Amino acid sequence: MNPTPNLTPDLTLSELEAEATRKKAAFGGDAHIVCDNLVRIYKTEGVEVVALQGLDLVVDKGELIAVVGASGSGKSTLLNILSGLDVPTAGLARVAGMDLLSMTAKDRLRYRRSVVGFIWQQTARNLLPYLNARENVELPMKLAGRARGQRASELLDMLGVGDCAGRRIPEMSGGEQQRVAIAVALANEPQLILADEPTGELDSETSGQVFDALRTANRELGVTVVIVTHDPLVSEQVDRTVGIRDGRTSSETLRREGAEGEIVAEEYAVLDRVGRLQLPRDFMNALNMERRVRLELESDHIGVWPAREEPSDEQ
Amino acid sequence: MRIALLSRTHAGAMGVLFGLTLSACLLVAALPRAMQGSFDAALRQSLRAAPAVQADLTVTVAPTRPAEDLHERGQFTTRDDRWREILPPALRPLVVPAGSGAGHMSAKTELTPVQGTGGQTYINLGWLSDMDRRVDWVRGHAPGAPGTMRWEGDSIPVFEVGVVDEAMSDMNLQLDQVKVLGEDHYVAVKIVGAFKAKDPSDRYWSHNQDILHVSRLLPPGKQEFEKHITTLMADPGLAVLDSFGRNLSYNWVLPINAARASALAAPDVDAGITEFARLLTLQSTSSAAPYRLLTGLPKLLDDFLAALTTAQTVMYLVLGGLLAVAIGVIVLAVQLLADRLDGTLALVRARGGSLRQVAGTGAALTAVAVVPAGLAGYALSALVPGPVLPIVHLGPALVVGCAVGFAAARLALTHRTPLHERRGDVTAARPSAKRVTLEVLVVVLALAGAYLLRTRDVTSRGLDPFLLLVPVALTLAAALVTLRCYPYPLRLLVRLTSRGRAAVPFLGLTRAARARSAAVLPVLILLPALAVSVFAAVVSDGIASTQRLASWQTVGAPIRMTSEIEIPADAIERVRRTPGVEQVVPAQTGRVQVGFGAERAEAIAVDLAGWQRLLDGAPISLPAEPAGGAGTPALVSPELRGRGAFEIGWQSRVKVATAGVVDVVPGFYTKGKFLVLPLEALTRPAVNTLLVKGDADPAALAEAVPSARVESQRAVLDAIQSDPLTATVRTTLLVVTVALAGYALVAVIVSLVLGAADRAGALAFLRALGLSDRQARRLTVLEILPMIVMTALAGLGLGLALPAALGPGVDLSSYAGDLPVSAYALDPLTPTALAAGLAAVAALGAYAHTAISRRRSLGAVLRVGDLT
Repeated sequence: MNPTPNLTPDLTLSELEAEATRKKAAFGGDAHIVCDNLVRIYKTEGVEVVALQGLDLVVDKGELIAVVGASGSGKSTLLNILSGLDVPTAGLARVAGMDLLSMTAKDRLRYRRSVVGFIWQQTARNLLPYLNARENVELPMKLAGRARGQRASELLDMLGVGDCAGRRIPEMSGGEQQRVAIAVALANEPQLILADEPTGELDSETSGQVFDALRTANRELGVTVVIVTHDPLVSEQVDRTVGIRDGRTSSETLRREGAEGEIVAEEYAVLDRVGRLQLPRDFMNALNMERRVRLELESDHIGVWPAREEPSDEQ
Repeated sequence: MRIALLSRTHAGAMGVLFGLTLSACLLVAALPRAMQGSFDAALRQSLRAAPAVQADLTVTVAPTRPAEDLHERGQFTTRDDRWREILPPALRPLVVPAGSGAGHMSAKTELTPVQGTGGQTYINLGWLSDMDRRVDWVRGHAPGAPGTMRWEGDSIPVFEVGVVDEAMSDMNLQLDQVKVLGEDHYVAVKIVGAFKAKDPSDRYWSHNQDILHVSRLLPPGKQEFEKHITTLMADPGLAVLDSFGRNLSYNWVLPINAARASALAAPDVDAGITEFARLLTLQSTSSAAPYRLLTGLPKLLDDFLAALTTAQTVMYLVLGGLLAVAIGVIVLAVQLLADRLDGTLALVRARGGSLRQVAGTGAALTAVAVVPAGLAGYALSALVPGPVLPIVHLGPALVVGCAVGFAAARLALTHRTPLHERRGDVTAARPSAKRVTLEVLVVVLALAGAYLLRTRDVTSRGLDPFLLLVPVALTLAAALVTLRCYPYPLRLLVRLTSRGRAAVPFLGLTRAARARSAAVLPVLILLPALAVSVFAAVVSDGIASTQRLASWQTVGAPIRMTSEIEIPADAIERVRRTPGVEQVVPAQTGRVQVGFGAERAEAIAVDLAGWQRLLDGAPISLPAEPAGGAGTPALVSPELRGRGAFEIGWQSRVKVATAGVVDVVPGFYTKGKFLVLPLEALTRPAVNTLLVKGDADPAALAEAVPSARVESQRAVLDAIQSDPLTATVRTTLLVVTVALAGYALVAVIVSLVLGAADRAGALAFLRALGLSDRQARRLTVLEILPMIVMTALAGLGLGLALPAALGPGVDLSSYAGDLPVSAYALDPLTPTALAAGLAAVAALGAYAHTAISRRRSLGAVLRVGDLT
């Protein structure tokens, strides 16, 4: 669990030392989501597949971020871990102060019931087709044993699908279905919403509505939202986009409003705690960098040069 | 979760589950009932068929002192009441209440000679408690009170008695005749009436044959028959009847009500009889004249139980197989339902459903289908007549429990972690050494068990758990071997097809070889289903052919006519002319003198070649015609072997030369000393046996030769087959075979449906690459067929091997006219038809399934299939 900086004047030296080292380990401080050196290895009868290999991620409370990456880069694994559906193999994963590695099955159930809500890409997976929208929203509340009459209707109204409350899932459009799915995810007042390609199957207009619904949830309910997406419409509208490559966070794009009100996007490479850095692939290709590079420390930056051709330099 | 809504949504799978559970519960509850019912029927029949004197309980005492004599009816009744009081509980329901049925009391003397006949005539004194109800007086009147008369200076009692009408003429008795009886302490009888039994065929008279018929006895060393008859006196006669100087015995007959006998209670009845005999001895007033129990019931019961044990073993074997297969198929159907529920429950689990909620929902949904089905099956089984055994309650409960338990366990296991998808790109590695060791251990144990079963020489009473366990182990071993080995030939095929140009065989077989472990369940169901049904078919065939053999061995010809006296030539001619008679072979049988001493042997003189022609198509064969040598060539039994030429005395002296040894002469001799001669060896044959071929009416033949007894092979076969136990064994085997074949089909179809989504996805993908509909159907068939064919072959092999493996352990001779069912003729027709039919239906099912799924659009299938 999170070490509490509860220092008192009468501490011994050794206790102070212990406190100091522990504090150092507390990567990400008290951020809402902290992933530190997260590893997830799938093991099936002796064969291993490494899906996450030391991923770092810090998300603050109330943030709305997008996670992008190629297929197989580990986005969905990350989301499954954050949603408590999957357990990481090693590393640190902390959401709202709860350590996802050391949770018991009971804690995990409580976590899924009250801390996190999520939305999958396929509407078929989010909603039960033989229940209507309201019943679908009430389902997580009933499972947690805290059904409240008005909550479902309020949520549906807030997300603009109040008129669908009595309709069955197949009678709704894809956009409506996904917005109902968001309402389902919000049913138990979670602190965090995770969405895996929520607009993947929708046209741009409908995706806009779904993204607006997520933003509404983020702004009005103060819920932290993490969206895995390929959709530029989504990734270009969030404040921060985290890129994942080969199971690691590779880049971050921050957006801020420029002086004239225009949106300025700046892409950063991610530097991990031991100093590793992933260079964008096209940068490396452009300069024909492979195997090794030369680094030079300047006063305000570090220069990266391709290795020299001369064999003498290889020493 | 809303169970009603879920059951509506998954109505199809629920329906399948309902139907399967209903049929399984009905079968496991009804079959044992019907079986036990027929066991009871068989017991009742054997009790009814036995003479009453053997089946009923008779308490008897022979008084030795005057104090032990009974002189009033009341004394008999008091004792009768006491016997009924001390009857052990096991016997009480079986014994007919006092004063009804054949229950009665009697007092009889034995071997009471008529004075002055030189021990040639015996008139016994008798009293029956219910004489009035049993006889009609045809002459004279019913006996009254006894009087007295003077005899040799003494006053002796004169009993008024009645005699059966038949004895009046037979023993030269007249009405009002007075006979003095005894050797000392004389009494006299005055014959005042002649009676006839009201119903001579009543089982009652089995106890009193001595009253109803004159019995003739030939004492050793004498030429003339002694004649015995027992007379009847009235109640007042008892007051005078004493045991002094007479063999007097008192009897209380407690008849058995066969209709209330039950096979289940038979061992208790056995124990009860022993107990009753013990209690009776305790009631005795003197050790010289103890009360004894006379009954043949224990022997009847023992014979019956011996036959029953085998029937039970075979029945429980096939029933156990049926139960296991039924549960397997139901588990498969539960798996189908669980698969259908998977999406819903995964979502519920992901959204915060606890394991209890998820597993509970699945179990409740399963219960909604199986509990009413189980109750309905249980209720329907009540329509089947028969006693209620514990298995009638336990069977359905077990089926329902297994279904609900499996649903809960499987869902709990699947959704133990919320994200239960497994990565499809990671293939399974080789099995662990631990598992291989375990499997090898099971196979070795099964083989060792089968070996021990074959070699041991123990015939145990009751159900033999070892006998039941070995087939189970063998089936499991066969299933393991099949599962473990079936990829190998398949891989070979795949390698062969990969060289060919056609893509479909390669793809289909590769998919079959890569089938997930879900394919284990169908194998585990199909294999025992086929094995047990093939076993049942083979055993049933074996019984049928042995019954036929037994009937032929009993009669020896299609029709055999035997006469005590010579059948004249004109009678033989009449037989030949009887409609339907095709061929007649005359023969003479007799008991002949061997050599010049007292040695006797059975002989038959017959034209063997002619006889052989009668046996066209019969399962028995005759020895070849004896040929050549000095004298008459004869075939002799093993006991007469090695004598070379010897003389026999048969009407005249015949010199016979041993021309061969025969073990049996079908229809005539199976053991002892016997010989077969040509008919012409006799100087003047006196034909007393006719062997007839043809479809003649036995009654017409009997009319043609009035002195002859006509036996036909068909009638004997009918008699063997109509025995209730035999009929039940065969009916149950048939029902189980049909039910198992049905379950095997359902298993194939359900496993097809189970893999449907996966297959539809793959096919849609391949169709997108250019697979035609025809190729798709072939692909599916190729994918399904290897597993079915391999399992069918393994099941067929196991089913054919089981009777051989269990053969010595299961004695079915009592169902086949007491011939041991040994040679299970490998008539491959029924079993092969079963296996082939199953494979064909499976292939057709796969074909139809692909044809139906073609109607779904590619896009929809691919989207449904793509969940990651």
